[in-house]
Amino acid sequence: MISRLRALWNNVFRRKQLDRDLDEELQAYVELVSAEKAQTGVGPEEAHRYALRQAGGIDHIVQSVRDVRAGVWMDRLVQDVRYGVRTLAKNPAFSLVAIATLALGIGANTAMFSLLDQVVLRLLPVSYPERLVIVRETGNHYGNSYGPNTISWPMFDDLRDNNQVFSGMFCRFPVTVALGYADRAEQIPAELVSASYFPILGVGTVLGRTIAPDDDAEPDGKPVVVLSYSFWQTYFNGDRSIVGRTIALNSHAMTVIGVAQPGFDGVEMGVPAKVFVPIMMNAEMRPRTDGLKDRQRRAFSWVTAYGRLKPGVSREQAQLSLQPLLHSILEFEALQPEFLRISTAADRQLFLRNRVELLPGSDNGVREYMRRPLWLLVALTGAVVLLACANLANLLLARATAREREFAVRLAIGASRTRIVRQLLIESLLLSTAGAVMGLALAFLAVRVLLRIYLPADAAAEFVVSPIPDGRVLAFTMGVMLLTSLVFGLLPAIRGSRTEITLSLKDRSNAFSASGISLRRMLVGIQVALSLLLLVGAGLFVRSLRNLENSGPGFPTDHLLTFTIDPSLNGYSDEQTKSFYERLNVNLQTMPGVASVGFSSMPLLKGYAWQNAVLGKDFEGAPVEEQPVLSQVGPGYFATVGIPIIAGRAFTAQDVGPVYRYAVINESFARQYFPGHNPIGQRFGLVNDMQPTSPDTEVIGVIPDRKYRNLRERPPAQAYFPYFDDSHFRFMNIYLRTSVAPRQIEDALRERMRQFDPHVPVVDLKTMDEQVGFSLRTERLIASLSAVFGGLATLLAVIGLYGVMAYVVARRTREMGIRIALGAARSNVIAMVMREVFILIGAGLAAGFLLALALADLIRSQLFGLNARDPFTFIGAAIVLALAAGSAGFIPALRASTVDPTTALRQE
Amino acid sequence: MPAPQTDLLQGTLDLLILKALAFQDLHGMGISRRIAQMTSGTFDVKAGSLFPALHRMEQAGWLASFWGESETNRRAKFYALTKAGKKHLHTESERWNRISLAMAAALRTT
Repeated sequence: MISRLRALWNNVFRRKQLDRDLDEELQAYVELVSAEKAQTGVGPEEAHRYALRQAGGIDHIVQSVRDVRAGVWMDRLVQDVRYGVRTLAKNPAFSLVAIATLALGIGANTAMFSLLDQVVLRLLPVSYPERLVIVRETGNHYGNSYGPNTISWPMFDDLRDNNQVFSGMFCRFPVTVALGYADRAEQIPAELVSASYFPILGVGTVLGRTIAPDDDAEPDGKPVVVLSYSFWQTYFNGDRSIVGRTIALNSHAMTVIGVAQPGFDGVEMGVPAKVFVPIMMNAEMRPRTDGLKDRQRRAFSWVTAYGRLKPGVSREQAQLSLQPLLHSILEFEALQPEFLRISTAADRQLFLRNRVELLPGSDNGVREYMRRPLWLLVALTGAVVLLACANLANLLLARATAREREFAVRLAIGASRTRIVRQLLIESLLLSTAGAVMGLALAFLAVRVLLRIYLPADAAAEFVVSPIPDGRVLAFTMGVMLLTSLVFGLLPAIRGSRTEITLSLKDRSNAFSASGISLRRMLVGIQVALSLLLLVGAGLFVRSLRNLENSGPGFPTDHLLTFTIDPSLNGYSDEQTKSFYERLNVNLQTMPGVASVGFSSMPLLKGYAWQNAVLGKDFEGAPVEEQPVLSQVGPGYFATVGIPIIAGRAFTAQDVGPVYRYAVINESFARQYFPGHNPIGQRFGLVNDMQPTSPDTEVIGVIPDRKYRNLRERPPAQAYFPYFDDSHFRFMNIYLRTSVAPRQIEDALRERMRQFDPHVPVVDLKTMDEQVGFSLRTERLIASLSAVFGGLATLLAVIGLYGVMAYVVARRTREMGIRIALGAARSNVIAMVMREVFILIGAGLAAGFLLALALADLIRSQLFGLNARDPFTFIGAAIVLALAAGSAGFIPALRASTVDPTTALRQE
Repeated sequence: MPAPQTDLLQGTLDLLILKALAFQDLHGMGISRRIAQMTSGTFDVKAGSLFPALHRMEQAGWLASFWGESETNRRAKFYALTKAGKKHLHTESERWNRISLAMAAALRTT
């Protein structure tokens, strides 16, 4: 064994010496033989000739010896690889385009799928994540809700204690808390969790322990906290003595009891929790909410409930089994006073039809929001991969055709067919390897760039998305591309190696190349069709983005700066918070560069809003499509944001009094609730499950309809109340209309806020234009990627078309020469070639049109302000493509027309 | 390819070479002459068969080679049996004896 390995080593790396040795040995042999012969009395020269004859040809022996050497295949492989590299280098245009095509296909697809996988598909890093489900109730909720995936605490209790399908259940609620540790003040995302959270997830600790049932037994009972591993590493530098020490959360001293296992950042992927607190500490972690009441209210949906399916129970079975349980809970709830207070008999009927629904435990709101756009992008890249394959196939076919003579010659001088096929195989592999390496680099870069575009700078650092491309997809895409290069690189070679050698040598245009060209025409057609599809998509997305940007929210977003602040997280009382805001308002108004200041309890254009049912004399119980959007604002709000008052007046500092005494509404609100009346002086009230409400709020002003949550929406009905009415102050969104460019005063503003109150951090400081830009990040990502894809696709299609036409013209040079010699005008020749070009483009465009029309419905939801079958975009894309491809076809046509008949006819 | 005068069974040439080297180290021509002598001229191994076989056997680890001086004071490459080669010679000889006995017995029956 060892001797064989040594032999192999010598054969591969010391070939020259071995060959020299062999030469000497054979030389010596010949001399010995001739010396022996010379002893019989013949002359030395004749003896030598005799010896050579005896040996039977030295070269032949050398070859035979080489053939028996260990690793001879490796020897040949090295030879073939060398030859392959040489031929590829001799044709750099072909090699570069082929490698770039491969890299594009592999890189784009891998990057896109990695993003999709990490943002949308990946399962939680817990034990058996596939058995974890979110339990939610669909249908008509009543009372307040934190979103579609939330249920009330009593509902969670009932489900947990009475179900037959889960081995355990837990619930959680995400919050932001103010962290104080060693003179540092900042806000961090946290998770309030029930005691069963860690055991049911199967998540352990690297240090200390997790939250035990005892920690979560009584409200406000145990001020303990578990840190996430990454938070422990970054914030506490992995200090192992952290367990047992206290940190301040919302100014409450909390004892660190453990550090969770690495990689676990809570159950909401994309929004990593840094600390985990028993949910019984709700009142401390969420100031201004009554923890105990929250837990008891059935009309308040706030926790997300998770269950772990028992072994052998499927999600569907569990869902069926839970439905009767939910129904009995609903029947009980429908009889509760708080439900009776805010509902009619008709509501009750609808309410009892609510259903339980189980979602995969790794889902969440962020994922749901990103799922569609990301799948769309994956589909676009799929088209790019298809196109890359078509282009590669076309290139390889062209090359195989061009090399027919080379192969014929090699066959003629004794190369075996397998050797030639192997040669092509090696060239395909070389190309694929180079393409894969470049594609991998491209994917790595692309994922980073995509993350940068997709996530805001601060979130990108937090977001647990790795830029390492997904291995499975990389393997898949590389497999597809490799298969393409093998099939289209080898098929013609195998067929070609069977063609009659003499025929190939005599005549270039044999039957084989004729069938090759029709395949290539088809491939170009496919490329044109796919390019049209991508160009149409790019056109639609880019124009949607432009429409969104042009339409805007309805108020000027330049010279507007915004940030969020929450003194209540620092333990400030209601009185302190109120005074904080009053002083802040005055302070900011005197800041240089600030024209006016507006406060609002709910943010603009951040995708969410406070919504609540309203009632009034004339519209009690009337069904509405959507509850109105509400906010509490300061006196300067409308003027600062730039929304005019079209009737009545805005709030003034004098509008103090009982909560919700005055309101400013928008036109939609007026139309919806006071049709045909002058809205000024009308009254309405907010529906409240805690106490009976009467319509006491008086409308004092009307504003025009403006967008609120995002740029896509039709402005909803809106109502605003003065913020200083309220006794419960929490976070506030501050808007500053600046007289200078808003970016210029950002630093000064931070410094001013630090001096104003060093303990209260400024959160999410950005210009309104940045806010708008961020709210359009998905649209921008889709628009820019589809534009890049569309451009590349067109380029590839143009290259493909040029290649085919150049080949066709080259093959028909003789024919062109004859035509010109017989008196055909050069323009006729051009027309003849161009007719073929246009047939090719036309067929591709027709196929592309049909494809685009059929797929239009899939992208409708991503568009804004134009139809998915927008004729302008379709025709525009077709014209661009036809022009680009047409000019690529015109070059060979022109060359055909300038053929000199005498040279053409003299050609073989 | 110049074949030996009698078609050699596969492995026969190897066995003959091993046997030729059993008593002394030889160079290529020496091996060829020794085989001819051992088989009373029945086998005349030509260079075209001999050298590939020698190199193959060397790579298999049965033979070792070294440069030395021939009886006529010329430089020549000599071959010697290795330990593995001796062992191989032994097992192959036994196998060959068994086969030849069986063949002889088979051919005797009528």
